[in-house]
Amino acid sequence: MAYLDLKNVNKSFSGVVAVHDFNLEIDKGSLVSFLGPSGCGKTTTLRMIAGFGHLDQGTIELDGNDITTVPPNQRDIGMVFQAYALFPNMTVRGNVAFGLLMKKMPKREIDQRVDNVLEMVRLQDAAKRFPHQLSGGQQQRIALARALAVQPRVLLLDEPLSALDAEVRVVLRGEIRRIQSELAITTVYVTHDQEEALSISDKVVVMNKGIIEQVGTPEEIYRTPKTHFVATFIGTANQFLGKVSGIDTVIGDHFNLLVDGVQGFADGKQVVVLVRPETIHVEPEQPKQNGWNSIPGEVETITFHGAVTRLGVNLRGQRVVADITVANTKPISLNQKIWLLFPPDACQVMDVDEG
Amino acid sequence: MPLSKRKTGQTSNWMRLLPFLLFCLAFEIVPILFLVRGSIMDKTTGQLTIQHYLDLNHALYINSFLNSIKISGLTAIVGVIFGTFIGYAIYRWPSTRIQHALITLSDVTTNFAGAPLAFAFVVILGMNGVITQFFLQYFHYELYPTFSIYSFSGLTLAYIYFQLPLMVLLILPAFAGIKKEWQESAQSLGATTFRFWWHIGIPVLMPSLIAGVTLLFANAFGAYATAYTLVEARLSLVTLQIGYMIAGEVRKDPAVGMAMAVISLLIMGLSIGIYQAATIRARRWSKS
Amino acid sequence: MRNPTKKPGREPNIKIRPAGWQMLSIALFLFYMLLPIVSTYVFSVATRWDRTILPEGYTIEFYIRAFQTSYFVITLRNSLILSVATILVSLIVIVPTVYWVHTRLTGFKPFLDVLMILPFGIPTVVLALALVQVYNVPPLARSPILLIGAVVVYSMPFMYRPVSNALQAIDALTLTEAGQSLGANVFQVLSKIIIPNILPGILSGSLLVFSTVFAEYTLTSLIVGARFKTFPLLLVEYTRINGNIAAAFSVVSFTIAWMVSILILWVGSKGQDAPAETIQAR
Repeated sequence: MAYLDLKNVNKSFSGVVAVHDFNLEIDKGSLVSFLGPSGCGKTTTLRMIAGFGHLDQGTIELDGNDITTVPPNQRDIGMVFQAYALFPNMTVRGNVAFGLLMKKMPKREIDQRVDNVLEMVRLQDAAKRFPHQLSGGQQQRIALARALAVQPRVLLLDEPLSALDAEVRVVLRGEIRRIQSELAITTVYVTHDQEEALSISDKVVVMNKGIIEQVGTPEEIYRTPKTHFVATFIGTANQFLGKVSGIDTVIGDHFNLLVDGVQGFADGKQVVVLVRPETIHVEPEQPKQNGWNSIPGEVETITFHGAVTRLGVNLRGQRVVADITVANTKPISLNQKIWLLFPPDACQVMDVDEG
Repeated sequence: MPLSKRKTGQTSNWMRLLPFLLFCLAFEIVPILFLVRGSIMDKTTGQLTIQHYLDLNHALYINSFLNSIKISGLTAIVGVIFGTFIGYAIYRWPSTRIQHALITLSDVTTNFAGAPLAFAFVVILGMNGVITQFFLQYFHYELYPTFSIYSFSGLTLAYIYFQLPLMVLLILPAFAGIKKEWQESAQSLGATTFRFWWHIGIPVLMPSLIAGVTLLFANAFGAYATAYTLVEARLSLVTLQIGYMIAGEVRKDPAVGMAMAVISLLIMGLSIGIYQAATIRARRWSKS
Repeated sequence: MRNPTKKPGREPNIKIRPAGWQMLSIALFLFYMLLPIVSTYVFSVATRWDRTILPEGYTIEFYIRAFQTSYFVITLRNSLILSVATILVSLIVIVPTVYWVHTRLTGFKPFLDVLMILPFGIPTVVLALALVQVYNVPPLARSPILLIGAVVVYSMPFMYRPVSNALQAIDALTLTEAGQSLGANVFQVLSKIIIPNILPGILSGSLLVFSTVFAEYTLTSLIVGARFKTFPLLLVEYTRINGNIAAAFSVVSFTIAWMVSILILWVGSKGQDAPAETIQAR
């Protein structure tokens, strides 16, 4: 049974649709990310779960109870904001204890809880300091501690790491995941950074223009995107336009591709074939035909990314990107003529996106 | 090394500051120092003395200090209380155009201190003033002679006129500095609106309120033109007394006036000092 | 499909009516602020207004008499001279100084800030007393030159703040370095790069100084008095002689004041796009 259940949620702002027919079931104890570009509706939806936005339509259920009309201070939900939102007039201890103060807990218990949760975010020594004396990363950890201190039923995070430096972000997202799974607390995490979403989530909800494009595990989202948007939003993908021909071929302007999944597409239909750069092999000489796609081209750019080298190849007028590892390939030079090889099952056939 | 910093700290740079520093010395700092010196020196003997300060222990001067402090404190507190409420009303007003209009109005009216303002108050609350007439005709109530615009209470009303908008202008950024996220965060932690304001809103606002009291106090304490036009010799105020000394209207040793001036400076300095400290605290909290 | 609000997910406040207490407080506020001014305007065109709530009749006679008073033109001219002179001296003394401090003497900035707060802590009467006592030798004694010095000190913060903010906004230091790397000397940088870019700030500051000095009474009356009669002095004089003419003068004073305020706003809006940040304390 879903712990957090959103049914048919709709919301518009002065005529403009922000969230449309949003249906989602979130299991207890899981971390679900809402991932998408700015304006896709992810934050709007999150705020509705928190109670900071009225639904035009639909319901939100938590643990079997309808909380759609419950005010935010009675929902037992913890929230972490992008801008930390620590109360400047209180020490760290005061901030973290605030929710417990609202619950009128006895002082000794409050102190105990605060110490525990500060230990969990590894900032026990900061208890007496004020927010402005802490770094951004520390402030966000305190904000997390503050939200967790009340032991909420759901934890909501609204782009919590966007305001932080890159290194801090990577460390902190790991911390958030660690704490979340230790406490097994149901969590909704909003972000526009796909690396973040893919690395820490149990499930990812990819959103675009107010609707859900796809829900799945990070692997599913990456390996088997269901829509053109998801395929291009997640990771990099080469796109080849063409027409379906037969059961295994797509005819493009300059070359034909052998593909695996043309079922469901009528003959002659306009489609786009997506091929991820890491699935493309590179050969300096023409390889023997073996059921794979092999197309000749010229190396235009070579970019070193550390573990991987990205080649920009001119394939009969179209620019294609291929990722190669140093270990598996002979050295390649600029303007070298090479052959790109990729199997049919590396090709994803999709409808050409109208929007 | 950046080109412009190449000569940082060298004399050529400090030389460039010279005109300004000389100006400040000549017209600000040296005269004030002379003032202080004059107040502790006996002109005839050239000896240091505190006699001039002791001479202030006279009903006239003590009254003037008391009156100045009373009117400054009163108008400061009234200005802060009502200014904060009006400021909040403006802050929460839904139309930004009206907000801007009210801010502009406050900006303009807070500078209206002086003779024209005093005169305007005579027009409305003088013996034949508009409001005086209004009370007479509609409520058959005679304001005069129990009330007079040419008195402490009249001057108070005139001072409040420019104190109110000053507080409005001061408190608005303080309200803007109360982040919406704090309210939402407090709500998600179970706080009602009242508890939010009690634990977070008002404490965060407090430095601005203190800044308001001190700034308004200093503003009223140093005012001269409005008082001169409205009450002149009828009410004894520090600024008016010092003014008389300059105009030579009083046959007294100007050193007494200097002593008064020095004490005024101390009072003003204290107010502005507290104001600065409070403002820095307020700014720091609104940035976090 | 873009979310029309500033922050994603925030509800815009459309069509919310202000609460009752809000409307009441603003109404009372407006009443308190506007009644004295409106009454003055009406008084200046009233034939007789000492027995009734509204004037008994209307006339422009008092304006005609006001403009014909012997000192009217002279005092206006003097006020203008004083204001313009103060602006010029302020510009020459303050603008380069603020620039040097922003670019080469950044350590001095805190001191400069204090120096610019100082005039607020010195009541005008005290400044007048100090100056008159120190400079009591002719030709400086009680002269317009001394007055200009006093008024420049008094109005320094009003010129300083807009100029300092403008320099900060354009990142004067980086621009200077860019200019110097392209071969300009310091004065060329100032005249061709810095000043053109802080013009709105200079203009704001000048207008603020203008309106402050134009209405200044205390320093003028105590330092030079009748020797250099300015408009405010004339006004105070007439408040004791003829109330109607004083009202006409007050109207002139108010009108100039809010016209300059509008100019300042207009310049300010051209200078930056900061509508949401207009809620600023001066």
